[in-house]
Amino acid sequence: MAGENSIAKASGALPEPFKDLEPFLHWALPSEPERMAARETSTIEELQVFYDAMLRRMPAIVEYLNRFPLDRMPVEAQRLLNMALALNEVSIAVERYRQPRVINGRERERFFPGR
Amino acid sequence: MSVDVYKRWAQRYPNMSTAPVPADSCILPEYFALERERIFRRSWLCVGNVCEIPERGDYIVREVAICDANILIIRGNDGVVRGFHNVCSHRGNTLAWDAKGKCRGYLTCNFHSWGYDSAGQLKWIPDEANFFDLDKRQLGLTPVATDVFRGFIFINFAPEQTLTEYLEGVTERMKPEGFDQLRLQRMYRFEERSNWKVSMDAQNEGYHVVSQHRYLMPKLFVTTGEGCFRSAEMTFFGRHSVSGSSISPDYKPFPVEGLMFQIDNGPSRCRLPMQHSFEFHLIFPNFAMLFFRYPTNDFCITHNFWPIAVDRTMWEIRFYAPDPLNAAELLSQDFMQVFNRVVFDEDASAHETVQAGLESRAKKFLLLQDEEIAIRHFHDVLDAEMATHNGR
Repeated sequence: MAGENSIAKASGALPEPFKDLEPFLHWALPSEPERMAARETSTIEELQVFYDAMLRRMPAIVEYLNRFPLDRMPVEAQRLLNMALALNEVSIAVERYRQPRVINGRERERFFPGR
Repeated sequence: MSVDVYKRWAQRYPNMSTAPVPADSCILPEYFALERERIFRRSWLCVGNVCEIPERGDYIVREVAICDANILIIRGNDGVVRGFHNVCSHRGNTLAWDAKGKCRGYLTCNFHSWGYDSAGQLKWIPDEANFFDLDKRQLGLTPVATDVFRGFIFINFAPEQTLTEYLEGVTERMKPEGFDQLRLQRMYRFEERSNWKVSMDAQNEGYHVVSQHRYLMPKLFVTTGEGCFRSAEMTFFGRHSVSGSSISPDYKPFPVEGLMFQIDNGPSRCRLPMQHSFEFHLIFPNFAMLFFRYPTNDFCITHNFWPIAVDRTMWEIRFYAPDPLNAAELLSQDFMQVFNRVVFDEDASAHETVQAGLESRAKKFLLLQDEEIAIRHFHDVLDAEMATHNGR
């Protein structure tokens, strides 16, 4: 994240067109093991609410984020990108398992031991 | 769409047996000891990709436990990728200690500061005049046969063929397009309490997909009317095999997957030489390359199943894709990686339990159906290689 290169105003946590998603800022997690852990430790109801809120905005989110080079993403846009990455993680649970955790999986223990 | 056919591959390959496969090879320590000598010390083994050492002097170090070896792969100042035992010529100490690094000038042994250049030549011996009859020119690092195919680095401790000869028809089937775009994006590595073949066999068939992955990918691939998996291609090239699968034209993607399938990102920068929507290439003995087609780019996942002991395997999973240029590419790549990480988590759930089942001696054979013919081919090749090198 390149805060000093931010070209958007640092007035808000998320870019202006996506203010409505600020209740979900806790999903702006910068790494895969953090996003995986957040999915595993949420309830399916919490995952569903985040999923519903994000999914309908995804075409606009992708279009917005595509304006920025990945290595010079404004800090607010980076948060939005991290939330979109969290949707990838959450979608597996909401769409496929209907429960937070992989059925028969070992997840963090297997892929990110100690985290 | 359905394909109501049975025993297609047995008809295509009538010379292959349809008999049960003995399970002994997965549980007997004496068989494992012979695999070390007759398979792993004689086969071309994939240890990485040139994208990890893009610049002159870049190196990686790989532990090849099954051959008791620690290998230094280094790109010389002449641009050539070479492999050496990572062992100093003086008294055998480990030379490079980092898993990854760059040789700026000399690689220097920590013990007595013997120095080697990026081509493995010994260039510096402190207090050399105090030694007896040394010839530096004869004392370079011990080379290991090393060659590159489609960017992937292979080594061989006792080559009887060149890598190209070893790969046979794979070199023709796997055209070179796209591979120069691939970069290592993510890697997982973990030890399993299973024989390396138990872990690898689980990847080497599509029969399990409609069962073990029933939540993850229902109706993704072409099946019979009764929902039984049917692959689109099964081809054998000497020791190696490729199986291809087609996504069912009736498949309705899940919503987020659908988004990733629809992302219009202009012309793809990476199109791999694929003939099906999904391909699984097994390069004998322990390396697999998986190709996936997405609108943004094609992706590649590799598996290395490294034997540690008869009941211990180090499974390495690597994701290769072009470095993403924008959010759309990053998101579609991340989705594919997260999704497959979950697939492999499901797969792994059966590795250790199958091993335990075989070790109980309750069952003496693996029963293989037609869609598991690549497993049969692999075990046939293994048996033949074990017999060929018997007593040598």
